Amino acid sequence: MNMNQLTRRRTQVVFGIMLLAVSAVLVQLVRVQYGTYAPIFARRVEVAENLEDEITPTRGLIYDRDGDLLATNAPMYYVEVEIIQLTDTSRREIAGVLSQVLNLPYDDLRNQLEADWEGAEQWRIRLRQTTDAGNNWPIIVDQVVADMLNGFLADPDAPDLSGLDLAPAPQRSYPDGTLMGHVLGFVNQLGEGFFGVEGYYDDWLTGQAITVENGDVPLQASLLPDTPAGVNLVLTIDLDIQQMVTDILAEAIENTGAESGQVIVMDPRNGEILAMTTLPPLDSNNYEPWLPAENDQEEEPVINPIVAGQFEPGSTFKVLTMAAALDAGVVAPDDIFVDEGVIEVGGVEIRNWNGGKWGPQTMTGCMQHSLNVCLANIAVNRLHATLFYEYMQAFGMGQLTGVDLAGEVAGQIRTPRHPEWTDADLGTNSFGQGISVTPMQLITAVAAVANDGVMVQPHVVRTVVGPEGEYWPQTIVLGQPISAETAHTLTAMLNESLNGETNFAQVTGYQLAGKTGTAQIPDEFGYDPTWTIASFIGWGPISDPAFIVLVRIDRPETSPWGSVVAAPVFRDIVERLVVMLEIPPDDLPQQLAVEQGE
Amino acid sequence: MHAIWSTEEVDQVKRRRQQAYKHGQKRLPTRVSDRVLLPVVAFLLVSGLYLTVHSRHARVGREVLRLEELKTELLQEQAELSTTLAELTSPARMLEQAEALGFRPATAMEIDYLEIEGYQAPAPFVPNRPPAGLAHEESSLSPAYTETLGERIFDWFGWGSGQ
Repeated sequence: MNMNQLTRRRTQVVFGIMLLAVSAVLVQLVRVQYGTYAPIFARRVEVAENLEDEITPTRGLIYDRDGDLLATNAPMYYVEVEIIQLTDTSRREIAGVLSQVLNLPYDDLRNQLEADWEGAEQWRIRLRQTTDAGNNWPIIVDQVVADMLNGFLADPDAPDLSGLDLAPAPQRSYPDGTLMGHVLGFVNQLGEGFFGVEGYYDDWLTGQAITVENGDVPLQASLLPDTPAGVNLVLTIDLDIQQMVTDILAEAIENTGAESGQVIVMDPRNGEILAMTTLPPLDSNNYEPWLPAENDQEEEPVINPIVAGQFEPGSTFKVLTMAAALDAGVVAPDDIFVDEGVIEVGGVEIRNWNGGKWGPQTMTGCMQHSLNVCLANIAVNRLHATLFYEYMQAFGMGQLTGVDLAGEVAGQIRTPRHPEWTDADLGTNSFGQGISVTPMQLITAVAAVANDGVMVQPHVVRTVVGPEGEYWPQTIVLGQPISAETAHTLTAMLNESLNGETNFAQVTGYQLAGKTGTAQIPDEFGYDPTWTIASFIGWGPISDPAFIVLVRIDRPETSPWGSVVAAPVFRDIVERLVVMLEIPPDDLPQQLAVEQGE
Repeated sequence: MHAIWSTEEVDQVKRRRQQAYKHGQKRLPTRVSDRVLLPVVAFLLVSGLYLTVHSRHARVGREVLRLEELKTELLQEQAELSTTLAELTSPARMLEQAEALGFRPATAMEIDYLEIEGYQAPAPFVPNRPPAGLAHEESSLSPAYTETLGERIFDWFGWGSGQ
């Protein structure tokens, strides 16, 4: 072989290699453009090219006041299917596995997998389920199920799940289950907060989404934008107190055969809610029953009776009537009222709870025996309508407290300006009938008596921690409906009446003040003859009140009376509360002084 | 004075001329091919360099994506562990375990209170700040790494976006 032939041969080899390489590139090009998976690539380009994509930041975390995690973001996954990869076998087995693992109807899944998605130019679908409430939502699986499905996908001997894919989706998770349900609310599958803290602070928790434009050059070496996360919240709630209160309330409901109940524990000095429980509970992890169906036009269910459930407060309201009368100077604690057992106001006869005559009674006695006639007399003949309703307005009746929980309602009170108001309303309002309040309103108003007459706004968020720093909400004073002197006088009266009225609420070693309530339940015919709402509101220690507790128990079977049903719950709670809040007994300062003297 | 060349000398000159003419014919295509091939080679060199830079660029992009995925996985794992920890330390679970160990809640009368001078209550709990995030522009790589030659040339001539 001469030189020329050698050169020619080498050239042919090089050209051959180049031709092969170019051919391979061309074949791959044709395969991508027109092959089996061409629609998927085309769809990806269509979706990605020059379109804006929104990157949602991580939702903020929620802690209790001691740092216990209350709401976090657990890894969850959407169940998706690449239509082009499905086979007859995988359609059958995907439906079979998912229906068994997730307890979903097989036929529904099979129908979704066999629909003509290609005809609709859909190449990747997200499997959905119809919930009990009628919502049609994407299926979401947790990490355990995801691990199992991924194991099936990797195992050639496992069921054929070709085409199945799991797309990460952050999901809200509540480690304490139902314990904080009514306080926290919940977040739905679309990442929207509803009710409670999640609803009220939804914008802050969600953070700031960033919109980016997808470029047309693949694998650009540009970092994905790092979105600012939502703020973290620290609540005023103490999870240990919340658990204790919930346990005691649950036991009381079981023992009394009651339908439901609520308890609020608040610091009257700054409005911090230490515990707030409602039974039956809301499970924030399984919030489905609390959502209205998508096609349901009716009102949304009352999610938290503490801020959204109005009731006629009954005798606990007498605290406010007596506070108004003392503050206005129209009565004094030792004034005598002769109870005849009945008083007529605006053509309506008002009687005492037992229908009896109680004879001469001091104002303290009126509170101790919870005399409707006495309180109606004070409102009608001493305070009169104008002054009475001015005080009630100052106590926030008929107004929102502004508590930082979504869904609060204002309650209702008819004043003389209302066209349907009558004199009888003044008489009945004085002992808590014909007026509706929420438990949050009632405890906020009565807390003013425990806090030197100063009414503060209740709140559940203690600290907001954002990327820029911390924010500590300040105590907001809503007003001072009564003087400090009146507040101290009434507290002493209620301490005395508590010791006399019912020993069910007394706690050894601590001086407390409080008032029972037994409210009738209005219905379409007037008042329900059978059922009542038993309640108790009390605070202590009276020398320096550090807590106020409201107990409400709906429709108890064993006894209708607040003194029998609700007062013991108050006592049980306070016995544990003073330990958890490290409040020493009232006589401790003297004991310590004696010990130091020795 | 005239020089007289012999016949041999004349033949020798003719042969040299013919040889020179033959070589001249070869030099002409060599010059032409030089003019064509040099730009091609230069173009190929520049293209090769450009391809190298872009392939590195793509590799870095892929590495960024891989690290982003890793970060997401780690965050998910962290969230899962936090949730598990919160479940394990929930008050109900702790109370259950304490009772199993024979403990019960203390009553107020069982507690001895002492006055300690200078005692300071623990500082209130404050969680870590959430990540501030970076604006998209800030988080992108410098134009030094992303600017293309075309963009630079366009800028030189004032046809670009005027960076």
